[in-house]
Amino acid sequence: MVIVRRVKPLPYWIIPIIALLAGIAISVIILYVLMGASPAAVLSAIVYGFTRPGVVAKTFVALTIVGIALLVSFKGSIWNIGGEGQITFGLMAATWVALFTALPYINPGLAQASMILLAMVAGGIWALLAALPRAYLGLDEVPVTLIMNYIAYYIVDILVRGPWLGKHVYNYIRTDTIPSQVMFPQVPGTTMTWDGLFLLIILLVGVWYLLKNTSIGLRIKILGNNPNLLRSSGISVPLMVIVALTISGFIAGSVGALYLGGDVYRISYPVEVHTANYGYTGILVAWLSMLELIAVPIAAYIVSALYTAGIQYQILVGGHLGQLITAGSAIVDVFIGSILLMYTILITISEYKIKIIVKKR
Amino acid sequence: MAAEANNAKPTFLSPPQEGKEPIVSLRGITKRFPGVIALDHIDLDIYPGTVHALLGENGAGKSTLVKVLYGIYTPDEGEIIINGRSTRLTSPADAISTGIVMVSQSPQIIDTLTVAENIILGLEKYNHFVPVTKVYKTIREESKRVGIKIEPGIEVWRLSYTQKQLVEILRAILLGAKVLLLDEAITYLPIEEKKRFYKFIRQFADEGGTVVLITHKIYEAMDVADKITVLRRGKVAGHLDRKEATIEKIRALMFGERSAEITYERLPTAQPEPNTVLEVKDLWVMGDFGGYAVQGVSLEVKEGEVLGIAGVAGNGQKELIQAIMRLRPVIKGKIMYNGEDITRKTTYYLRINGVGYIPDLPAKYGVSIENSIIENIAVLPVYSRGIINWDKIRELTLKLIKEFEIKTPSPDTPVKFLSGGNIMKVLVARELTVATNLLVAYNPTRALDEATAIKVRKIIKDKVLKNKVSAIIASEDLDEIFQISDRIAVMNSGKIVGVFPADKAKREEIEHLMVM
Repeated sequence: MVIVRRVKPLPYWIIPIIALLAGIAISVIILYVLMGASPAAVLSAIVYGFTRPGVVAKTFVALTIVGIALLVSFKGSIWNIGGEGQITFGLMAATWVALFTALPYINPGLAQASMILLAMVAGGIWALLAALPRAYLGLDEVPVTLIMNYIAYYIVDILVRGPWLGKHVYNYIRTDTIPSQVMFPQVPGTTMTWDGLFLLIILLVGVWYLLKNTSIGLRIKILGNNPNLLRSSGISVPLMVIVALTISGFIAGSVGALYLGGDVYRISYPVEVHTANYGYTGILVAWLSMLELIAVPIAAYIVSALYTAGIQYQILVGGHLGQLITAGSAIVDVFIGSILLMYTILITISEYKIKIIVKKR
Repeated sequence: MAAEANNAKPTFLSPPQEGKEPIVSLRGITKRFPGVIALDHIDLDIYPGTVHALLGENGAGKSTLVKVLYGIYTPDEGEIIINGRSTRLTSPADAISTGIVMVSQSPQIIDTLTVAENIILGLEKYNHFVPVTKVYKTIREESKRVGIKIEPGIEVWRLSYTQKQLVEILRAILLGAKVLLLDEAITYLPIEEKKRFYKFIRQFADEGGTVVLITHKIYEAMDVADKITVLRRGKVAGHLDRKEATIEKIRALMFGERSAEITYERLPTAQPEPNTVLEVKDLWVMGDFGGYAVQGVSLEVKEGEVLGIAGVAGNGQKELIQAIMRLRPVIKGKIMYNGEDITRKTTYYLRINGVGYIPDLPAKYGVSIENSIIENIAVLPVYSRGIINWDKIRELTLKLIKEFEIKTPSPDTPVKFLSGGNIMKVLVARELTVATNLLVAYNPTRALDEATAIKVRKIIKDKVLKNKVSAIIASEDLDEIFQISDRIAVMNSGKIVGVFPADKAKREEIEHLMVM
């Protein structure tokens, strides 16, 4: 028996699926060993997550959009770990429109559109700030975007504690609730909003078109494979780095507006504790999609179902154990961590195959 | 089984016999890839103390065979016998432990470490407690013995390609190589370095070592090998002793009926127009490691002529070509294109104004191997600005595939699945199409076998003659320079040291100027 390098790659969907199943299995074991959680209860929570599209919808929309955003930069081998910061900046911009302009009272529709658009611009600017040193100084974008997540949190924290502190908050440190005119209307029977659904469709089609039919899309793909070819073709590599990362931040920023207008309606201090962590979870979505746009919604559905399952399990069991509050999003993290770990291991193993050679004599 | 296979073949094909036992024998080695048989029952004996050349055109199976010998691929069928024992190699570490060490065409060393650090990596006899001075001493002694000059303390990124290759070879020797696999490892070295290297190879073999030289250059094999095995389409086309080998014989084995097409006759001379397309005036350009690589070069290219730039690698040709393409800043001087000063213009400007560019190391700088053929063509700014018209580009791609006889299942095939020759054809086809005015090239045929290289030269010259395109082609291959150029400029130490009309130029004189 020998192990050899695989010549022909496996079909791309095999790895994510095995990673998913193995990751769930490992989570069940971890939860059983550490918490004594009954595997049946965990699995039933997972089944709950997968069979409640209406409940999952809100998370699904957010994660799909973040997945699309990260896919754009990942295609160019630009590793945007800053989705979280870009979302936080988007959240800040949307809050400003909702609370500190007169727009919600003048034209609610326009106000909602402005919230989303301004959130995108803010996310784009935040990504651009990381893109510039990457493009012109060669500074690695991974630590830069990661660190900028925290800078974004703290900027928003300063605003919430200071000038944005609400007047009707009963000693809580948070902003006022946004006017009802700019609370995004929900799609009946689901947790998602019409705004989110439309945005999702527009972005999916838009990015598909961008990658398929535009020179920017093609250049981002070539940037990811061989920037030398861009250079010798006369295309500026720094410019493409900036474009890829900025588009990524631009798209991610919109999730901040959806989070405000369709979910929390205000920013609570400290923002880093009250975040849904979509920016980080989205990395898993992008990887599980194997950077195929069409697979992003599928990956997002799976991850959001697990996300919901984790929260559901905490409500079912955690409350009973009296650990609901302390557990936080721990169970969700166990699921996501296990799957990502399995994925990473499997993607390496998949480059090899085991071969049995029978010696002929 | 192996014996049968040998008997079944005509005597001409049976491996040369000798008193000694072969150090490495291959019996019936077969390797299949999806859709192709890369190696088809290869039998080969390699004897200690010999230099054994493996020759073959692009895609003949040389690289696959070497990878089998080095444990990177395991054969689907057949047997590898090392020192009389059937051996299974499943990794390069296996191969190294049996004394087989490979040096490939792309240096496998770490740029941020020093030469000494690179060499120590993987050498078990140097553990953490060996003083650095001792390592330095060993490296200096060995490199002197081998006949190369390397400073152990220098960081690898400062080294040229040649020097990196030498470090690799030095490491192989220190690893205790008994069989040295040189996979096109010296093909890209400049002439003098190569000659010095031949001496070392000879010495290594005389001391009982074995060298397997994998190359597509016939003269390389003729220069140094004792035995030559020619591969063709995955099969052994023949084994030759150096004494009986002639260029004609080898060519016939390598290319079959195509060998008739090989000729080094000069291609037809162009009749240039009076107007100047490219003019370089007193150009000064920095090299990678400080200092001026191009020192006051002036030259001009007329409409419809090919200017060949001859020179040994590392004399500023690369920097000159890159400066013309606006990929390297100009410190002083001027570049004029069609009468316009382009010294401060961008590569983009040239690319949308009829300039084609064939860079050195095309797989690295000229194409993106993970992308498809059609995407590799569409990336040029002339073809894609804003929205891409895929129908038009597909039509163009299909036309080029047909015109240049690019062997590919479809235009959507990733370039990495093509053979080296076909990758080069994709690049040449694309660049000749955009070169409506000027073609700038550096070693345009270096990665190609003779027959393909000559074909590519013909295509380029054809285009120059037919469409009155101008070309500036720098090459380390003098045959190429003579075959394709209308005028020859010789470059040495960053300066142009002579310009000759190609039909009157004397080879000895040019060679003399190159190394002066």
